[in-house]
Parts: sequence; structure tokens; C-alpha cells
Amino acid sequence: MSMADEPLYPIAVLIDELKNDDIQLRLNSIRRLSTIARALGEERTRKELIPFLSENNDDDDEVLLAMAEELGVFIPYVGGIEYANILLPPLETLCTVEETCVRDKAVESLCRIGSQMKESHLVDSFAPLVKRLAGGEWFTARVSACGLFHIAYPSASETLKAELRSVFSQLCQDDMPMVRRAAATNLGKFAATVEPAHLKSDIMQIFQDLTQDDQDSVRLLAVEGCAALGKLLEPQDCIAHILPVIVNFSQDKSWRVRYMVANQLYELCEAVGPEPTKTDLVPAYVRLLRDNEAEVRIAAAGKVTKFSRILSPELAIQHILPCVKELSSDSSQHVRSALASVIMGMAPVLGKEATIEQLLPIFLSLLKDEFPDVRLNIISKLDQVNQVIGIDLLSQSLLPAIVELAEDRHWRVRLAIIEYIPLLASQLGVGFFDDKLGALCMQWLQDKVYSIRDAAANNLKRLAEEFGPDWAMQHIVPQVLDMIKNPHYLYRMTVLRAISLLAPVMGSEITCSKLLPVVVSASKDRVPNIKFNVAKVLQSLVPIVDHPVVEKSIKPCLVELAEDPDVDVRYFANQALQSIDQVMMSS
Amino acid sequence: MIKQILNKVSRKQSKFSKNQEPLDAQNPNLTCSGSKRSDLTGGNSRKLSSSDISAPLNPRFNPNDTNSRKGGHVSVSYESLPSFRDVPSSEKQNLFIKKVIMCSVNFDFTDPTKNLKEKEIKRQTLLELVDFVASNNVKFTESVIHEFVKMVSANLFRELTPQPRDCKILQSYDLEEEEPSMDLSWPHLQIVYELLLRFIASPEADAKIAKKFIDHYFVLKLLDLFDSEDPREREYLKTILHRVYGKFMVHRPFIRKTINNIFYRFVLETEKHNGIAELLEILGSIVNGFALPLKEEHKLFLSRALIPLHKPKSLMMYHQQLSYCITQFVEKDCKLADMVIRGLLKYWPVTNSSKEIMFLGELEEVLEATQQPQFHRCMVPLFKQIARCLNSLHFQVAERALFFWNNDHIESLIRQNRKVILPIIFPALERNGRYHWNQAVHSLTLNVRKIFFDLDPELFNECLLNFQEEEAKEEKIQSRRESTWKHLEEIAADKASSNEAVLVN
Repeated sequence: MSMADEPLYPIAVLIDELKNDDIQLRLNSIRRLSTIARALGEERTRKELIPFLSENNDDDDEVLLAMAEELGVFIPYVGGIEYANILLPPLETLCTVEETCVRDKAVESLCRIGSQMKESHLVDSFAPLVKRLAGGEWFTARVSACGLFHIAYPSASETLKAELRSVFSQLCQDDMPMVRRAAATNLGKFAATVEPAHLKSDIMQIFQDLTQDDQDSVRLLAVEGCAALGKLLEPQDCIAHILPVIVNFSQDKSWRVRYMVANQLYELCEAVGPEPTKTDLVPAYVRLLRDNEAEVRIAAAGKVTKFSRILSPELAIQHILPCVKELSSDSSQHVRSALASVIMGMAPVLGKEATIEQLLPIFLSLLKDEFPDVRLNIISKLDQVNQVIGIDLLSQSLLPAIVELAEDRHWRVRLAIIEYIPLLASQLGVGFFDDKLGALCMQWLQDKVYSIRDAAANNLKRLAEEFGPDWAMQHIVPQVLDMIKNPHYLYRMTVLRAISLLAPVMGSEITCSKLLPVVVSASKDRVPNIKFNVAKVLQSLVPIVDHPVVEKSIKPCLVELAEDPDVDVRYFANQALQSIDQVMMSS
Repeated sequence: MIKQILNKVSRKQSKFSKNQEPLDAQNPNLTCSGSKRSDLTGGNSRKLSSSDISAPLNPRFNPNDTNSRKGGHVSVSYESLPSFRDVPSSEKQNLFIKKVIMCSVNFDFTDPTKNLKEKEIKRQTLLELVDFVASNNVKFTESVIHEFVKMVSANLFRELTPQPRDCKILQSYDLEEEEPSMDLSWPHLQIVYELLLRFIASPEADAKIAKKFIDHYFVLKLLDLFDSEDPREREYLKTILHRVYGKFMVHRPFIRKTINNIFYRFVLETEKHNGIAELLEILGSIVNGFALPLKEEHKLFLSRALIPLHKPKSLMMYHQQLSYCITQFVEKDCKLADMVIRGLLKYWPVTNSSKEIMFLGELEEVLEATQQPQFHRCMVPLFKQIARCLNSLHFQVAERALFFWNNDHIESLIRQNRKVILPIIFPALERNGRYHWNQAVHSLTLNVRKIFFDLDPELFNECLLNFQEEEAKEEKIQSRRESTWKHLEEIAADKASSNEAVLVN
């Protein structure tokens, strides 16, 4: 305790810690940078700590990453917004290191600080920093610069703005593809801050150049920016400048470019308005739906519903629906799967008649698909179609599909269908459920895979919630309780699990009269695992049942288990007893 | 391989010419090639323009064809041309061009039943071309080269298709090894590659004329193809690019720069590329040819492109080639050893033991070529790392590090610098001697320990004493650190509250 008397120099502590060989210790001390700053006080943080950090950044990337992150939230420790510019130099150096994560984090922190800075500081410190980085000798600095323009630009003077625009345009023509990619990635963000007049001239020129880059990777990112840029422009400008580019791209020889278009097309329709959508973008989209490359079709198929929503029903029926038909028998299961996950949403768009006539056959064929994912995707969106045509038309085909999925040899598929059972139950109604699905739900309780049994127990609870305790009392509880006689202890354990889940839904009375006796009798089981699970379940039942029941049934049972020869059983029994005591004390 | 092809060619050809229909003079390509020619006529100005984009490169990318993907076929007559030996010598040059143009048409190989006849005709024609180029009878004039490069581009420069995702998922969740995907159009691609290789190698092809067409854009596209998943394709590309590098002096800086860009993207952005090993193999031979003293540019290449290549997870795929390049550098200029070793330390794996073993292997090779002054400069951080390796729970890592003492050169470096090194690694040796689970590591450690003891018993005992003292202090240092930080926290809290008090006032 002599420590407290010695004078303590926070900077010295940090310097000492950062010299340690153990990287974990260095990381820890960087993570506690704010402590050191607070101990130093604002002024000395500005004068000593920050300069120290600016000079000492020759550490492992992991440490630098932590430093970049900490500095992003350091404004309060240097004395608030007034002094925020003090933080720029160390981050500037971090923007030039090799490791991408560190640079990205430094840029993120700079943006965070920049967005809080005073205007005069932005002009005097931030903008020069951006220019310095943009002129950096090594490309890492220039890559980082690309992500900072949108912060520096808004508060700049006219001349400075012009300069920033030209610097950005230079970055877009940089010799290194890495820089051009970074510029293309950030073009949308930057464009959002640029005035409309310059948007049309400067930014569009930059965009045009990027879309014609030698490197596919750059062009690809330019396409990605298309939609963002389109939204900034007036519709007529968008039609004049963006539309031709995107239509061209939709026929690019590189499938990756076409894939990007397929992902972006929908948003572009919003930007250009209905008429050009009809004349130019629908044909382009139809082409993509029929693309040679499965990846492109997957992307396009996933947008079918979104796209149909912005079209008139006639257009959708005339142009999109025929493609949908083709896609439903596509050779790639992933295309069919993507289609199946969205196709149900088309029903409200097309209206009842077209849905029954045209869409229903497609649903049905997808519901019989050989690939389980496709079937699952259809089933998962069943509520959407129910709203339009009612479930009756589907239920005939639905049942075989569900039964087959319920018995699929891959447990993940079985798990997925169990998750949808409550949804199905609510859509199909009690009658249908009792007839067809009730048996399945019980069958899953005896699955070979634990996850399925667990999900099955959970499913019972959700069904009880859906249909109410009375229904559950009739259709679930007796069957479940009957399974406690199963010779295999794992299945008996599933029953206990189901009881603990069902009890809160069923309420105190049924729990006391039906469930509790079964649990108590299970405490006599010969397998210790059952016994300590009984202890756990009993503990969970305490809040549900009345106090006398606890005293009369639960406690004696637990006391007995607490004397069990097995150490684990004793442990959990004691745990339960302790928690009961706590509850009693507090009440 | 070439011989095989040639054999096949001649066999097939004789069969082929027997069955040959009477010749007719029509040019079957006129109809189909016209629309396909526009794409590369830009000559040297190869920046893609929008007209490039809209003018399809070949039928596979023809949007009309794309639309009719289920029933489309090349709708023009595609007939074979007369064989070279059936025309007078004066006609051969013309016929060559015609055949080249004919081969610019691509067929869809995703459907094996489609265009069977045409595919076979094209294959035969390509083989004839290979044969003809090999016979050194071609005059590679400007227009011939132009058509030839156009044909090669139309065939080779395609967007690489991803591995089909189908049927992988259901069959096996646990299938670890993925089969490399084989390009379906390989029967044609292979012969086109063979042709290109022969063209580049041919003394008839004048680099001064050819460089107009084998230009930056061509080289860029060729390099893009190294990402192909088909190992056969990458093998060809490797040979071809190497020849291009040898033949076209003007392109050398550009090729190096572009390869650098591929590496940067791989290391810093994607970590996905199939052809790193092949590219490094080419570079290995390029580095081998660097003149001394090394240019600054090449040293930068070592520090900024090669050394960072140690970082990606997939190092295993290309480590051998990388290690070769690196040791080439060090052997050429031993002053670089210090930088290389520091580079290795920077990217030293933390949890990946198999990668660590590779690092140790490479380190040994580099140390082998390291001289005293460079060793002196990096030995402290180096042996801190080696100490950690010695204590690795993975016995192969520890063993690999201990094997350094079996290397005479390294052993002598260590011996000369023992005053610095032993204090660093002594705790590691001591801990291994006491706790290491592996018998081999245990005995090897004792061996090394003995080497030091025999060498300098005084120093050894000093280190032992130091170690025991440090060990005793360890707990104290730990608790001291904790209390220091606690104290700092208190000061910080104090300051904060007094600050607030000031504010309130």
C-alpha cells in the first residue's frame, strides 16, 4: 500500500505498459486510454498524451486497431469540440498503415470526429488532412482519403469545394485500382453532399469514367453506386444519364456486372419513375430473369415481388409472370429457392383471379420441388397467400409437402419445418391441424436428434398458446404425459422439458393436478440425469403453483433428492431448495 | 503434351481429309463473324467504351442468345475449310486468316448436346492452326497478328464462372476438399492456349509488330484469367505469361505492376485468388534474373507485395513459391535479410500452428543467407518470437524451432551473439525443461540447454539466477500492475468529480 504515496505519472505508466512484450497487456492499456486521459486532465491529454500517441504507432496491427477505435470517442477527454482537431494527427498516421482493418477504423473515427467538429476546424484542419492523404505517396493514404470527402465538403468555401471535387476526380483516375475502387465505393456518399449543379457536371463525369474502367472490379463498384446516384438526381437527369448506363450494364459481358444490376434495378426504377421503367427497365429486368448465368437469375428472381409491386398488375402479368413460370422449373435449385422465398408476395399484387389462374400452379409445383429448401420457402410465406385466395385451395397439396419435410433425413430441414408449424396452425385452423398435423408434433418428441426434440417441446408450447389451454388439455397434455413411460431416458427427459415449457401456459390448476404428479413420480427414476432434471423442473414450477403446493409436494420431493447418492442430483436439488427459500423470504 | 496433340492432329487430319467433301470456295464465316468483329477493333485504345459493352464479344454473351438460353444455337452455317495441304502455297496465308476468323466463334459448352458438329469442326480447325504455326510457315504480318489476337481474345477473355452451387449442399456438409472445377469448354480452350503459346514462342512473330496487339489491355485480361479455378488453364497461363514477359521488354514494368495490384487486392481486400502460386512462380524466375545492385523498385516490391503475402489464411497454397522468391532476394542482396525477418515477425501467426511451421521453415532458409550485421539488427525481436515458439504446445512448432540449433550457420550466429540471445530464450528453455509434455521437445530442449552451458557456463548460471529472481517477482509485478491501474482509475475519478465541481461553481 506504499503505492498510494508514490507519485504516479500516468503517461509513464502507459509508456511502460506499451513496452511490454505481451501483446495482451499492450492491448489492455490501449483499451484503458480514456482512464489515462481522465487521470491526466484535458490539458495534459492534449499536450502530452496525444502527441505521444502520434509518434508511437509502430505496434502490432491489433493494438493500432484498438487505438484507432479509442480515438474516435476521445473528444470529451481533450476538452470537447473546441479541441477536437487535436485528435486528427494520430488518426492521420493510422490512415496510412498497411492493414485494411486499421485504416478503415481510423477513417471511421475521423468521420465521427469530423461530423462533430466546428466549421472553422473542418476548413482549417480537416480539409487539409484530406488533401494530404489524397496526395499520399503510398496508395493506402489515398484509399483512406476517399472515405473522408463527404465530411470535409459541406462546410468548405467555394474555391475549396472546387478543389475537393477535382482532387476526388483525380482519385477516380488513380493509377492504382485499389484507389479507384475506394473512390467508386465512396462516390455515392460524396455525391450526396455535392450541389445539384456540380452533380450533373463533375460527378456524372466521374461516374461515367468509372463505369468504363479497365478493371472489372472497379466497374462493378460503379454499378453498385448507380442507384444511390440515381436517387440524388432529378428524374429527367436520371433518365438522361443513369438509365442508358444501367441498360448497357444489364447486357454487360461480365456476369458479375449483370448480377450487380439485378440487385440494383429495383431501386433504380424508383428513381426514374414509371414511364421509363415500363419502356426500358422492364425489358432489362426480363433479360436478367432469363440470364445464362444462374447467379444472375438468383439475384433477379429474389426481386420478383418487389419489382412487380411497382408495376401495374397488367404489366406484371404480361412480362414478369411468364418468366416466373420458367424460373419455377429452372435447372438450378438455388434459383427456384430464391423464387420460392418471394413468390408468395406476388399474390396481393396480381389479385385473386390471376393468382388462382396463374400463380397457384406455380406454388403447387414449387411445393412439390425435389429440393427441401424450395418447399420450405413456400411454406414459410403461407400467410401472404392466405390473405388473397384462402388456404383451402392449397391445403390439398400442402399436407404431403409438410409430411415429407417432417420426415426429411436432414435434421436441419425437420427443424425448419417445426419452426413453421405454429404459423401453419394459425393459418390452417384447429380442425385441419387436429386431423393431420397433431400426430406429427408428437412424433418429433421422439426424434433421434436432440435439437429436434427440443424444438418439438417448444412447438407444443407455442401451439398451446395459439389454441388455448383447453385445447392443449385435450390434444397435447395426455399424449405427452403418456410418454413418461418410455423405456429410453432421453425421451423421458424430453417430457420433462415439455412440462416445464407447458406449465406457464396451462396455469396453476392444471399444473398442480396433471403435470406436477408426473414430475414428482419421475423423481424416483433410476437414471440420475432424469432426477436432476426433475429438480430443475420443480424449481421452475415454483412461481406457477400456490405456496401450500410448494410446501406439500415440491419441497419434500427436493429434500429427498438432496439426499441422493449422485452428486449432481444433490447439487441441483440444493440449488432448487435455495431458490425456494429465497422466494419465500422475499414474499 | 505438345507431342500428344500433334499426334492427334495428324491422325485426325488424315481421317478428316479422307472424309472431306469437295471443296467449295465460299467463306462460311462471313455471316457470323461480321457482327463479332467490332469488339476489339479499337486497337491500342482499349479503354472500354459503351459501344464495346453493347457490342457483344461472342455468341455466348450475345444478349439475344442469352435470352434464348434454352433453345439457342448458332444459326449460321459453320462448315470446315479446306486443309492447308490441299491449297497452293500462295493461298496458305489467306486460308490461315480465314481459319483464324472462323475460330473466333464460341460455342456453348454448358449443353453438351448442342452444336456437336460445329464444335468438332472448330476443334479440328484449331488443331490445324497449331500445326501450321508449328511448321513456321506463317508470315505474321500486322493484319495476321491482328486477326489472330482477336481470335485468341474472343476465346479466352471470358468472365470466369463461379463454381456451380448446385448439388453440393445436399450431398455433403462435411466434404472438406473441393474438387477444382474444370472448364467445360477446355477442349477448345486448350488448343487456343497452345496456339497462343506457339505464337509467342515463334521466331516469326516480331515483337515490334505484335506489341501493337499484345498490348496492355491484352496482358491485363491474361492476368485476370489467373483466377481461373481450372489448374490446367493456370498452367498454360503461367507458361504463356512467362514467355510474354521474356519477349515483350516494353511490357515488363506493366506486368510487374499489374501482378502487384493483384497481390494487393488479394492481401488487403479479398483473400481470394486461385492463381497466386502460378504468379509467384513466374516472379521467382523474374527475381532470379534481376541485375545487381537491386533497383529500389524491386526492393519495394519485396517489402510491399511479397512480404505481406504471408498474411492471408491460404498461405499454404503458395508458400513454397513465395518462400523461393523471398530467399532469392536475400541471396542476391544479403542486406535485405533484416527487412525480411522483421516482415516475417510482423505477420507471425498467433493461433495457426501449421502456418507457424511454414514460417519457421522459411525463417531458417532466410537465416541461412543472413550475415552477422543484419542478424545483429533483428536478433532481439527474432529471438523473442523464437522463445515463444519453443514453448508452443504444438510439439511440431517447438521441435521445428529447436532444429535451428542443428543448422551450423544459424548455430554459429547464435553462439557469437549468445550474450544477447541466451537471456531472451533462457526462460523458455527452462520452462520446456520443466513442463513440456512432449518427450522429443523435452530432450531437444535439454540438448540446447547443454550446448549453452558447455559454451559459457558463467553466462548460463547468470541467466539461471536471473530467471529464478524474475520468477519470484512475477506475482509481485502482476499485483503491482493491478494496483497501478486501480490508482489511475481513482485519480481519474477524482479529476472528473473535481471538474464537475468546478463546472457547478
